[in-house]
Amino acid sequence: MSKGKGKIAIVGIGEVPTGIYPERSPWAIMYEICTQAVQDSGLDKNDIEAVVTVAPQAQARLTAEISFGKIPEELGLKGCKDVCICNAGGASTSNCIRLAEQLIASGAARAVLIPHVTVHSCIPMDELINFFAQAGMDLQWEYPFGTTYNAIIGMLTRRYMHESGATPEEMASIVVSMRKWAALDPNSIFFNKKVPSVEEILSSPMVADPLHKRECNILADGGAAMVVTSAELAPKVTQTPVYKLGEGAAFFTACPVLRDNGMMTRGFTESAAKALSEAHITKDDIDIWNIYLAYPVGHPLMMESLGLCEPGQGCKSFVDGSTWPGGKMPWSTIGDAIGRGHTGSGVSTATYVDTARQLMGKADARQVQGARFVFQNTSGGSGMNNIATVWGKELI
Amino acid sequence: MTQQYIKPIPVVQPWTEAFWKSTKNHSLLIQKCSACESLIFYPRKRCPECWSSDLGWQEAAGRGKVYTFTIVRDMVEAKFVPDLPYVLAMVELEESVRMMTRIVECDPELVQIGMEVEVVFDDITDRHALPLFRPADESLRITATDGDQTGKASEPALFMSPDDYHTILYETGGTNGAVCRITLNRPEKRNSINRRMALELRDAFRRVREDRNVGVVVLAGAGGSFCSGGDLDVFPSLAEHQTSLNWLAHEGLDVQKAITDCEKVVIAKIDGYCLAGGLELALCCDLLYAKESARMGFTEINMGILPGWGGTARIVRSMPVFRAREIIYSGRKDYTAREMFEMGLLSRVFKDEEFEEQFEKAVALLAAKKPIALRMGKEIMAKSADGGSIDTALAVERNGIQWLTYAPDIQAMMDQFRKNVKS
Repeated sequence: MSKGKGKIAIVGIGEVPTGIYPERSPWAIMYEICTQAVQDSGLDKNDIEAVVTVAPQAQARLTAEISFGKIPEELGLKGCKDVCICNAGGASTSNCIRLAEQLIASGAARAVLIPHVTVHSCIPMDELINFFAQAGMDLQWEYPFGTTYNAIIGMLTRRYMHESGATPEEMASIVVSMRKWAALDPNSIFFNKKVPSVEEILSSPMVADPLHKRECNILADGGAAMVVTSAELAPKVTQTPVYKLGEGAAFFTACPVLRDNGMMTRGFTESAAKALSEAHITKDDIDIWNIYLAYPVGHPLMMESLGLCEPGQGCKSFVDGSTWPGGKMPWSTIGDAIGRGHTGSGVSTATYVDTARQLMGKADARQVQGARFVFQNTSGGSGMNNIATVWGKELI
Repeated sequence: MTQQYIKPIPVVQPWTEAFWKSTKNHSLLIQKCSACESLIFYPRKRCPECWSSDLGWQEAAGRGKVYTFTIVRDMVEAKFVPDLPYVLAMVELEESVRMMTRIVECDPELVQIGMEVEVVFDDITDRHALPLFRPADESLRITATDGDQTGKASEPALFMSPDDYHTILYETGGTNGAVCRITLNRPEKRNSINRRMALELRDAFRRVREDRNVGVVVLAGAGGSFCSGGDLDVFPSLAEHQTSLNWLAHEGLDVQKAITDCEKVVIAKIDGYCLAGGLELALCCDLLYAKESARMGFTEINMGILPGWGGTARIVRSMPVFRAREIIYSGRKDYTAREMFEMGLLSRVFKDEEFEEQFEKAVALLAAKKPIALRMGKEIMAKSADGGSIDTALAVERNGIQWLTYAPDIQAMMDQFRKNVKS
């Protein structure tokens, strides 16, 4: 049996810079990222046999257009046989990739295009606040008390600091690490921008104590896409296939109130263990930890759950530079949502695209030299789940 | 009270009705599975453990501990803005279920993880009471503040003094105390205008009107920027219709009137950013002197609105109209001072390195004039520029100048002429 049997690979990627560009329409982005990804893959546009799109949040019109087949039609993907949209919040891209995997395994499609586009700057501010106040909150048991995403994260952060003894300075250093990657990334909203100091972060206004304004995300516009094929086909079309080697998933809760840090660390640990064992490697083989959690607090929790440090010591690597560009434990190479700009569910797409970019050796100033294996996760809702994956530039 | 509740009401399911009905009796229920005896929160239609639909209720003791909490200070929906800051918390009940709630009757700074709390109920409608928690320790409790539900800034003291100003500086000086300097002083926020600053500006310009020695007021910004406009912190409160109108009709109009009616020549000292509400303040002044590197413009239209502190109405009376329209419609914030001067808005632009010196020269030149002549000039020119009939303006001018000439010092000089005529 071939070792790539049933496996898939990313063979092409495309992306536009994240930022606030109200004049850049969703469909202009869609054309740009899809064209880039298909051309990068070495395939012809008519080789794309299915389009599985990451659902754009809070954009009903765009969602309807994509759901009802506009992408293959606009782009003239004459070979397309199947189209759908997939929504699991910030984890959506993982589910899209899995759907592509099944389409490929069943023979329904040989090459699948997975795009995501979000244009927050065209959504009126009150609608945005409203959407993010209610999404992921229970309308009976949470929302009437005045919950928001930031407030939920504020509560989880306080609990984490209480349990671990982490200081505000340590929490802020996570943002510093993210922004160091972002400053080098031409696709980030903070590209070439000065990296704020711990003091500057802690002197920004308090939003949901202990969460400061500069520990929250900036909503932005962006888009990214990838082309996926079977592991057998991949090396025939590109020099730089990026193979998916393993996966593990854990579901926690929809309601934040029913979730606690212990439940999350267990889920992180178990899903990572499954992904690594399926890939037949250990955590020592991982060259990049591409973690997507959208706020600082999840990062030390993840680091502790992965067994990369002692319990309660998760912040230390962000302080001492291990996670920074050039550090010994490259971590979130797009700087997560806080460094990239929050594009709804698109940060997970951008993280996968960067996982591929790093393994293709095309990450320029952020390139982790000699990277062979990347661990990546995604998480949806207000932290409802964790999907861990392992990617490599070769099959094992 | 029932009719006025504008915050979200719990979306009740048929199988949770008993819970909410009970809250009206100020009793907290926990769902209990009759089959496997699990305690369930939040209530379901089937037991999440054993899937039995044979479910009942048990009354909770109403005591618990804070599992975690946050003090929410910003970035909430408009309907929660009047509550800010509020303590959102997860409380673990003695029965080992955890619920989302708020901590009330307590100074937010005193709330701690592990703090013992007890349930109280907020009767929000005739069918729902929200279970909230207060400190079990009575010594930590404070009684709820009443009446603070409108989202308004706390009322200003009836009579402020410059010592009470937090957001501006007020200084008089110069020869004979003829110059008053009012300086916007929130440099960390580029002197953006919040509610407090609006009230203090109103107070300061009304105060200077009563100072007969002052002929010239310099309106400036601290820290290298004139004013970047309204503070975004004010923004959430504008979601409430009346509050929004009053921000324009009370704070906004009062500040404009206080400047234009202060009977002094007000000189805007423009450097750094002079944007949006900052430019509107400038348009209320009599003379605009700008530093070459200053950046100006109206950005309101980029948010789909227009300058509402007099800017839209005043700018077309302040410069050639076809150029004024561009400033309003373009939303640009990068007009240079030189450009604005060439478009006809500013009195003068000074090179950066000469700005302080030239500006002070201009102030000194005017400060040497008689305050009442400056005052009458301001009034006559304002009445004429207002676009009333020329005959009215000319009458105001004649009578104003006649009034000026009856000043004792001028009359003393006139007496000399009269004597000469007689002799």
